[in-house]
Amino acid sequence: MLTGDQYRESLRDGRRSYIDGKVVEDAAAHRLIGKSVDWVAKTYDAHYSADAGASNPMYQLPRTKEELQAQMDFLLTSDPTAASTAGSMALRNVAPELGSANPAYRERLEAFLDSCRDKDFRVSIAQSDLGGPVRIVERRDDGVVIRGGKHHVIGGAVVHELIVVPARAMGPGEEDMAVACAIPANAAGVKMVSTTTAPQSKDDRHFPYSRDHSVPDTIVMFEDVFVPSDRVFLAGEVEKSGALNETLGIWERARSTAAQADQAEILLGMANTIAEMNGVADAAHIRDKLATMAVYARLCRAGWEAALAHARTTETGMVVPDDSYIYAVRAYGVTNYSEMAGWVHDIGGALILTAPTVADFENEATHMYVEKYMSTGATVKGEDRMRIFHLIRDLTAERYSGWAKISNQMIGGGMFAQKLAALDTYDIESARSKASSAAKVNDGS
Amino acid sequence: MAMMTGDQYRASLRDGRVTFIEGERVEDPATHPLLKTAVDVAADVYDKLYSPEPDATSPIYFIPQSKEDMETRRVALEGASDMTSGTSSVSAMSIAMAAPDLAKANPVYRQRIYDYIDYVRKHDLRLAEAVTDAKGHRKLRPHQQHDPDMYVRVVDRNADGVFITGCKMHISAASIEHELVIFPTKAMRPGEEAYAFGGAVAVNAPGVTIIDTTYAPHGEDLRHYPVSSKRNTPEGYVVLDNVFVPNERIWLDGEVEYAGVLASALGLWERTGGGTYKQREGEDRIVGLAALMAEANGVADEPHIHDKLATLMIFATMCRAGHEAAWANATTNEDGNLIPSTLFISATKYYQNELQDRMIDILHDIAGTMVSNAPTMGDFENPDLRPMLETLLETPGFTAEERLKLYHYIRDTTADAFGGWSSVTGKQAGGGQYAQRIVTSRNYDMERAKEIARRTVGIGHGAVAAGKEQS
Repeated sequence: MLTGDQYRESLRDGRRSYIDGKVVEDAAAHRLIGKSVDWVAKTYDAHYSADAGASNPMYQLPRTKEELQAQMDFLLTSDPTAASTAGSMALRNVAPELGSANPAYRERLEAFLDSCRDKDFRVSIAQSDLGGPVRIVERRDDGVVIRGGKHHVIGGAVVHELIVVPARAMGPGEEDMAVACAIPANAAGVKMVSTTTAPQSKDDRHFPYSRDHSVPDTIVMFEDVFVPSDRVFLAGEVEKSGALNETLGIWERARSTAAQADQAEILLGMANTIAEMNGVADAAHIRDKLATMAVYARLCRAGWEAALAHARTTETGMVVPDDSYIYAVRAYGVTNYSEMAGWVHDIGGALILTAPTVADFENEATHMYVEKYMSTGATVKGEDRMRIFHLIRDLTAERYSGWAKISNQMIGGGMFAQKLAALDTYDIESARSKASSAAKVNDGS
Repeated sequence: MAMMTGDQYRASLRDGRVTFIEGERVEDPATHPLLKTAVDVAADVYDKLYSPEPDATSPIYFIPQSKEDMETRRVALEGASDMTSGTSSVSAMSIAMAAPDLAKANPVYRQRIYDYIDYVRKHDLRLAEAVTDAKGHRKLRPHQQHDPDMYVRVVDRNADGVFITGCKMHISAASIEHELVIFPTKAMRPGEEAYAFGGAVAVNAPGVTIIDTTYAPHGEDLRHYPVSSKRNTPEGYVVLDNVFVPNERIWLDGEVEYAGVLASALGLWERTGGGTYKQREGEDRIVGLAALMAEANGVADEPHIHDKLATLMIFATMCRAGHEAAWANATTNEDGNLIPSTLFISATKYYQNELQDRMIDILHDIAGTMVSNAPTMGDFENPDLRPMLETLLETPGFTAEERLKLYHYIRDTTADAFGGWSSVTGKQAGGGQYAQRIVTSRNYDMERAKEIARRTVGIGHGAVAAGKEQS
């Protein structure tokens, strides 16, 4: 296994990574990207073992509901590349299907995933196309050459490997776009352009979350990248092209549903804390708003638990939470999220934006004024209230929260698409028969 | 005296004021990296409105007395407005609106208000709306707080004036303006005389300390922030530590029953949007951005996109309708100053804020994740990246650069620091959503509504023509 420092060193591999038009020579040392590297390194150090056969839990596929929940708990407290790496392991479930098209695909994919585990490598998923689909532009005896762009590759600039999969199922005539493969982040012809929510301020202590929880959101451009055969998992079999995307989608929706339940609780927790600090927790209209948020938090949690309770295990051993519950609670959570954030703003007030910074708190000329006027009584320290406001701002009204909200909203194609998927996955026959039997009519179906 | 040019305004801010930002003392707002843009924008408005005539005065201090006056104001200020001109107009119009009522407390107050407006008009000064107090424990009255300074109060007095102590929070642009117009946060009660204070002090008066926060972007290449890098405003945490206020700058001093008059006058003008008249564009801009993004993403013909755009159009139209109704139902006070309908303003503001974030969600749904991860202009200009980015980003009808600009604009205004600021201040300006409910309830003609119901149902004193009303 790698230590955090070995991981930092491993990123100095000649990759062509850019941010704001400038080359990132050393990700670990970069002013903004370095903050993400530190976060990933922390996950490395937290699970490091010197034993030869040891591996990180993110490489183990959960086989039961309990194991799935345990893995989600682990991922919710780890960096996002742990999540994308764990997600890529879910592709083991597609291996047999790919193998039915070409036995070599299965062997290669399994060998690649094993090698990531053995080398303790982090993997990002390159799925959403930028422009037209990534495609094969040349087929050689020893591999393929691909071209195109992928965006929203979470963590691309700070991982070792990129798994490229088709963004959708391809049809006849689209053979060159039915390509799945693994590409090292430093491969010739790969260029990565990242944006990040890491705060730009030199003193970023008033960004209590995003200062150490930001990840590069990377556009990966493949300019005629050669992929050797042993890293090619699909190359033209259009009938298998949707399988990878589908499996990753199941995993991504499950993870985001578990995360949504946590996030809803944080919102409620912040609202309740600041209401109390402001001295209004028992005002009737505040209780009404907190109640709305409590209902939201409970239903987000309930949806995830129901999806888990109705989970099934596939032939290959993957635990799949129930789609119908997943889509419904995702649609519910995403559609109502902004309203809930709005209630936090309503309860917290404008100090969310205007609370002085930690540096103002420390400056001798202003310290007493910050403590005095941020306090709301003998039991509420001004400093504590200031810090809660910083957290609310960072998590609901800043660059990080804007990015996180949109990223979450767009999983599964956006909030409207998820709602429609909830309809399409609903056991509609059961609903219809309840209606027809209540109306005493023959459903006719 | 005469009007100030932009440069004279810049120089006027070097007056010894004590302001801080991110822990550091600001020596000169006009050159400070996080305040300079705000000063430049204000200076630009000074230059646009400038007239060298010795008797010329700024239209921002033209107190309207009719809808024609509002139109005159609108034309005079077209293309020449910023946060400081807005807060100055709102402060002046609010004290002018309250003047006749305050005269009932003490006739001298009315004169002082009009003298003060003359003074700031003559010197072409900018005024901050210093209203929101620290408030401490929200459920306790000012005099019940653990610390008596949680609301600004008179702590001492002499023959020439009073000394005040407290803190006014989220005071937009305070550190780049000249005067703090002090309003009580809310109505006061007997026993709270020290807190019933209205008046004005200079920003550089001894005892004034301002701690600023800002959504002005940090970083080297600010083109990624097309709006907030060009227009931004610091918010001031304004500490008043035993600040002297001379008698001629005091228009409320202990008359608790009139504290609410000042607070609600300011609230109305704040909610009205700085006295804007017939120039609302924000909601229609959301419709336009969504439509352009749908075209750029090649989905403009999809039925579900039409459906979403229709939702946005209804929202924009209802917001505009509410504002137009507020002016159509405007009244004038005893001194002839024009006042938009409080009912329509508060109801419209509530409606808009209730739905605003949902409308932004729809915009994001149409635009997609590129809103938050589109490459910067710096990336786009790098010759190693540009050719490929051009190919990947261009779509029929939109160049790669145009598409990037759309994404950057939407991110900056709806999903970044400035977007967050807009969302929170939108809800908080002129009081939160709960305050809008209270104001609406107070101003709604409930008797009329009940009378309609009685008459229609045929009960009580309107019992006559019940049947006819149904048709």
